[in-house]
Amino acid sequence: MPESVTLEGLTKVYPNGTIALRGLDLHVDAGEFMVLVGPSGCGKTSALRMVAGLEQISGGTLRFGDRVVNEVPPRQRDVAMVFQNYALYPHLTVAQNIAFALENKKIPKAERDRRVHEAASILGLTTMLGRKPRQLSGGQRQRVAMGRAIVREPGIFLMDEPLSNLDAKLRVQMRTEVLRVHRRIGAATLYVTHDQTEAMTMGDRVAVLRDGVLQQAGNPRDLYDRPGNIFVATFMGSPSMNLYEAGLEVSGEVADLVLGGQRLSLPQSALKQVSGLAARHGESVIVGIRPESLADPGAAGTAPEPGTTLTVDVQLVEVLGSEQLVHFRLDARRVREEAELRGQLNAAQDSSAAAVAAESQGEIVAATVAGGVARVDPRAKIRPHASAVLAVDVERLHFFDPATGTAIS
Amino acid sequence: MSATTVVRPGPEPGPAVPPPPRRRRGQDDNSIPIEYYGLRRGTVTAVTTLCVLFALFTLIPIAWLVINSTKTQANIFESFGFWFASPFVFGKNFALLFQNVDGYGVYFRWFGNTVLYAVVGGGGATALAALAGYGFARFHFRGSRALFYLVIAALLVPITAITLPLYLTYAKVHLINSVWGMLLPSMVSPVGVYLMKVFVEVSVPRELIDAARIDGAGELRIFFRLALPLMVPGLMTVLLLNVVTVWNNYFLPLIIFSQNQLYPLTVGLGLWSERAQNSGNAEIFPLIVLGGLVTIVPLIALFLILQRYWRSGLLLGSIAN
Repeated sequence: MPESVTLEGLTKVYPNGTIALRGLDLHVDAGEFMVLVGPSGCGKTSALRMVAGLEQISGGTLRFGDRVVNEVPPRQRDVAMVFQNYALYPHLTVAQNIAFALENKKIPKAERDRRVHEAASILGLTTMLGRKPRQLSGGQRQRVAMGRAIVREPGIFLMDEPLSNLDAKLRVQMRTEVLRVHRRIGAATLYVTHDQTEAMTMGDRVAVLRDGVLQQAGNPRDLYDRPGNIFVATFMGSPSMNLYEAGLEVSGEVADLVLGGQRLSLPQSALKQVSGLAARHGESVIVGIRPESLADPGAAGTAPEPGTTLTVDVQLVEVLGSEQLVHFRLDARRVREEAELRGQLNAAQDSSAAAVAAESQGEIVAATVAGGVARVDPRAKIRPHASAVLAVDVERLHFFDPATGTAIS
Repeated sequence: MSATTVVRPGPEPGPAVPPPPRRRRGQDDNSIPIEYYGLRRGTVTAVTTLCVLFALFTLIPIAWLVINSTKTQANIFESFGFWFASPFVFGKNFALLFQNVDGYGVYFRWFGNTVLYAVVGGGGATALAALAGYGFARFHFRGSRALFYLVIAALLVPITAITLPLYLTYAKVHLINSVWGMLLPSMVSPVGVYLMKVFVEVSVPRELIDAARIDGAGELRIFFRLALPLMVPGLMTVLLLNVVTVWNNYFLPLIIFSQNQLYPLTVGLGLWSERAQNSGNAEIFPLIVLGGLVTIVPLIALFLILQRYWRSGLLLGSIAN
């Protein structure tokens, strides 16, 4: 029976003193697809294992529906879980693997066979039921792992990076498959991944974790459009958001951002949207610019308004067919955290921008020169190793407090 | 590896493909010259020679047993030890071995005893080692580590050192001249526990147990249905080790048994050779020689039978990952 899952101040401290999770509050409705995302070591898997009952809860309360299940052993929790490496029983056939949970529940053979076949047909495994896991391909093993979970019609469905062992193409294909299965079962689903693309595309809601602390939870659109802090801003989106330290000069209803030697004029509307800016005259703020908020000014046909462009040094242009990624340097104070995050995220991001970011990290870059990426029209004529003018969508800038890293609202 | 077919690149026109290594006579198509591995032929010959010498050294006593089991007592002492002599009396010796000769013909009884001790003791030791090894490998409880070190420590104590206390303890609990006196200690195998623990750690992944727990399986069911089948290659190793240990055990039965009909083969043959030294004329030596041979044959057979489990075990491991 589908149930909701509620985590209240869930904390995990390992015997060696490592704190994996610090007071996680999260609620997953019955039928909701919740993605837990974050870099490796952020505590997302610990959280999942605690929900499964495989890990003892060091602090806080875990509820399924209204029941507190902190002390309930895993086999009585009615959760199903798909493991990263599938954890199939190697000596059992596909059918036996799928039927194992039903056997444990002492479900009669006829009923068992019916359900195994049903699950197999949902996942396209009907012809493989007699095979052993070692005779299957990665994608097929993944399906068996899913089959083993869905055959139980679980109240709660847990997935621990289930697609990370598949190749890129299969991964995209399985995303839809997982969602299809999720809708069919209607169970509360907790899905752990380090891949922000998976998080964005799959989650009804996404919870971003870092160092065991929940950074922000919400629907993917919100996280992308209104990131609560620098970490979420950088983590969600690929290539990630460009961050620069800028001086703020407010005069009446308009304001200027000073980025190194250049200025961006903020229109009234932007200032109104982010009311917190008005009080920060003369202070420095962190400005975040999504790669797609930078454009080739020639594309619009009209000359850009003054104060809405940045002149940059283009380092590298990646032509992706539908778009171009322009990697550039900019005379502005870079945000150290951003560089660090990029390093952390290299593994997570599937864009080739990671390589470039890694390269620019290796070099000694003066603190007053910052890197960045723009996502521009494929027809834009921007050449590497030259300077270029990029139009900035000043209505869609993000602002963060340099001291705390939280968004200025 | 998955079950996909590996397509070997065929000969392609192009400079990148090196010429195939020149084949020597007698090599099959797939063999790769030793030099490929950076070994010199001289080294290989030397190592091979050493191995052959060692094999000979090990096999010579067995060859001697086989040859001399066909001889009469006189010929055992007088003819050349490494060749057959007439009359060829293997059949007669074999028949005599299992008969009551001069009142010493309890070989059959001893054989049965050894089988009993080895099967119950060795089998029991393996079963207990499987349970204990799995427990140590996959459960953490208060004092589990200390307990495991205690088991390891037991490995280091030679039985000779504990003979006297062992004997006195046995006397107190009436295990002297009791079958259980032999069986109970045979069922304890610290080496077996250690080996099983290590084996479980590599062959029964933690995630598999996690998955089974989530699937609603109880711990006993997880052990018997999932862990045990994966432990089979390790179990066979430990079984063989334990059976051989019990089969060849001489010291323990020697101190706890004073009744002829409880002896295993080792002590029985010892008794025979002692009598042979003292009584001179009786035709006992051929029986001792053949008795020794018959003693080791079941072990060799067991080894050959269990061998295939190791091979399948290796295969299983390489494919599972």
